[in-house]
Amino acid sequence: MSNIDENKLHQAEPEIDELTKDRYLGGHEYDGIRELDNKLPRWWVYLFYATIIFAIVYLLGYHVTKWWPLQEAEYANEMSVVADLKKANPEPVVDLATMVPLTAAADLAAGEATYKKICIACHGPQGQGLVGPNFTDQYWIHGDSTTNTISIKNLYNVVITGVIEKGMIPYKDQLSPTQIQQVLSFILTMQGTTPPNPKAPQGAKYPKIG
Amino acid sequence: MELQKFYYDNKIVKMFAYATILWGVVGMLAGVLIATQMVWPAANFNLSYLSFGRWRPVHTNAVIFAFVGNGIFTGYYYSLQRLLKTGMASNWMTRVHFWGWQSIIVLAAVSLLAGFTTGKEYAELEWPIDILIALIWVIFGWNMMWTILKRRVKHIYVAIWFYIATFVTVAVLHIVNSMEIPWALFKSYPVFAGVQDALVQWWYGHNAVAFFLTTPYLGLMYYFMPKAANRPVYSYKLSILHFWALIFLYIWAGPHHLLYQALPNWAQSLGTVFSIMLIAPSWGGMINGLLTLRGAWDRVREEPVLKFFVVAVTAYGMSTFEGPMLSLKNINAISHFTNWTVAHVHIGALGWNGFLTFGMIYWLFPRMFKTKLWSNKLANVHFWLGTLAMLFYSIPLYWAGWTEASMWKQFTPAGDLVYPNYLEIVTQIMPMYYMRLFGGSLYFIGMFLLVYNIYKTVKAGEFVPLEAAEAPALEKEGARKSGESYHRFIERRPIQFMILSIVAILIGGIIEIVPTYLIKSNIPTIATVKPYTPLELQGRDIYIKEGCYTCHSQMVRPFRSETERYGEYSKAGEYVYDHPFQWGSKRIGPDLWREGVKSGPLYKSDAWHYTHFMDPQKVNAQSIMPKYPWLAESEIDVEATPAKIRVMQYLGVPYPAGYDLKANDDLKAQAEAIAAGLKTNGIDVAASKQIIALIAYIQRLGTDVGDSKTALK
Repeated sequence: MSNIDENKLHQAEPEIDELTKDRYLGGHEYDGIRELDNKLPRWWVYLFYATIIFAIVYLLGYHVTKWWPLQEAEYANEMSVVADLKKANPEPVVDLATMVPLTAAADLAAGEATYKKICIACHGPQGQGLVGPNFTDQYWIHGDSTTNTISIKNLYNVVITGVIEKGMIPYKDQLSPTQIQQVLSFILTMQGTTPPNPKAPQGAKYPKIG
Repeated sequence: MELQKFYYDNKIVKMFAYATILWGVVGMLAGVLIATQMVWPAANFNLSYLSFGRWRPVHTNAVIFAFVGNGIFTGYYYSLQRLLKTGMASNWMTRVHFWGWQSIIVLAAVSLLAGFTTGKEYAELEWPIDILIALIWVIFGWNMMWTILKRRVKHIYVAIWFYIATFVTVAVLHIVNSMEIPWALFKSYPVFAGVQDALVQWWYGHNAVAFFLTTPYLGLMYYFMPKAANRPVYSYKLSILHFWALIFLYIWAGPHHLLYQALPNWAQSLGTVFSIMLIAPSWGGMINGLLTLRGAWDRVREEPVLKFFVVAVTAYGMSTFEGPMLSLKNINAISHFTNWTVAHVHIGALGWNGFLTFGMIYWLFPRMFKTKLWSNKLANVHFWLGTLAMLFYSIPLYWAGWTEASMWKQFTPAGDLVYPNYLEIVTQIMPMYYMRLFGGSLYFIGMFLLVYNIYKTVKAGEFVPLEAAEAPALEKEGARKSGESYHRFIERRPIQFMILSIVAILIGGIIEIVPTYLIKSNIPTIATVKPYTPLELQGRDIYIKEGCYTCHSQMVRPFRSETERYGEYSKAGEYVYDHPFQWGSKRIGPDLWREGVKSGPLYKSDAWHYTHFMDPQKVNAQSIMPKYPWLAESEIDVEATPAKIRVMQYLGVPYPAGYDLKANDDLKAQAEAIAAGLKTNGIDVAASKQIIALIAYIQRLGTDVGDSKTALK
């Protein structure tokens, strides 16, 4: 790769650049552009070597010696931590028979968070109804028409089983019983509010849920 | 020795330079338009051909292939003739090249806006245009090699090495990545599917950056930098080593676009390590550029051309360090799908390509017009405006990228996502989108200063269409002489040089792509994965047509933060019928791969999707998704169904024999069921409308494996 030999061919003393004192390469001139005979910068060469060593270690460590986990194993590790977390915080048991709306601020805030995560898409930011029905009026689709009553228990069943033909999926796998109780409690606080652009009433009119 | 007289053709240089400026303005305007739409979605006026999904590919294609492409050819035609001491071998080929390239650009813009796209990033153009590109590219390369053979200079200079590598590699990339089977005059399906399609596409996509935005511009740098500074190139030895290392290593790096995705681990690791090994070869170019200015730094202060070059080369150095860092798994886990990537590529595009082009244009016009630049002062203003623009553009997007990533990944102590609602994250980074629009607009304004300055310079000067020159003919020289280095020898053997370059760039591509076909375990088969129904296939084509992939990914990575938000992570075997793959590269909106999974966290009803497509802001007031009212008006192209099914069958998708003729019956039945369901929700839309097909496709996404109970948590 050296061109010193070529300079010998030309039998000429190498010319020196005045500003940098570097040696020109003889015979290297293209449209007035000349080239200097500088060596590769040392730090550049060492950088290159270092990246090559990195590459070898990386490939060996991931694929031969298995020092580090590949992505599937990495994911399994991450999820085992979650499993431990769930074990440490077991779900409280909820008794549907005695369920009533929660009123504690913390429960309502948790319910609001779930509402904003899931329900908001179809029932609107203020419960005014969108694709799904309005929560602010006194009309309900899933009340008990024989006794003309509706309670949080009726709504709980809707969330658990869904109304799939209308596009409401069952949420039993996504939400814990407590979360459902919390979000329903939050939804019931919307009763009687008057948000803009409410959806027209659907279902039958029921007495206010207590 | 007798001197031969000949002429340098400046006219072709001028034509390409004007085209560069024109398409630069258009490409940047497209950028400003889509940046506006991101803060103000109504800026598409609810017109299909003004929508974000169609303009985003127009912006990227215009900047890469029209602005930078013409920039390459401008500098290339000027430098090649002078470095070889000859005119171009064929004048008609230069003209065909010019007009061919411009017509490709016009066809590209028109067809992309009309919705004809392959849905593969930076390779969106459909098959007739692909063929035209291949033809024009070969004419350009043929003329180049012919001119090199006719040269009056014994050795070819480093700039020309880069031109040769560019020519052969782009040809290989373009032809392989554009292999597609047409089912209509302007529509086709790629022969590759899913994982292979992704691998081939990013082998292409990454090397479009390497061999369209980098190697030709390094060639230009090696000519214009020493010319403008009037200084020798720092190190010939460095040129040799960084050239060969760069082209050999670059081609392997593509899989770093697919880290933590459904690509075999070994291919991902190759992408990472070859990216890291690219740091030194890339910096070799930066060093050789910057150190060429030794002894001329005082002039950098005075001369706007040199200022543009210094910032361009510095931006190149920054990008080529950042790129390898983004290829590390742990950094990529944060950066990928966020605005960090957008900031990264714009350092390259605005800094390296833009500024090198501006410097070159300011240098070339006074020389071709035998005058001085009309205003050095205005060029200086352009320089500072452009530099400021880059800061205003990139810093907010870096910030946005980190914000997005941290909001995606945060969990509460109880183990829930802190920001489960994607819209919260979008809303959080809106201020950054505004600042990016400001930065981009500054850069665009700078472009107008250039237009005015060049206009005035052209007015003041007199164009020299043919520049006379003379040189002795080249003596024939045979075998390598004793004492002549091998590289010096190959520098006077251009055909061998070209063949060596092809060998260097083929190795990486072959080693990465071929095994995914030969080794079955690379893409494990999943029995429950079935071909799309005809209606879903039609819907998928609408998804591609509207450029949904420009904002939504279809790739859930194996992270807790993603499986919690979206559902089960993506498996390679799920995508085997996806011609083309639609994994995407950016999440302006959420991932959609598990959108159809009924037991998953994303599922929404058909009625919700209908309402949302018609008016996303009605569903979420702060949404920045455009409205798609035309989808409820346009009809599904049922006449194309049989041809689509036949092409899919040809590509190996297992529809039963003769299904092409029955497919429309199934299509209609499925469409009517969806329309009937919508009707019960009070939505009246005919089963024949495009929106029905799109809803069918969205509801199918990810359901082949995602419905299983184990996939939930």
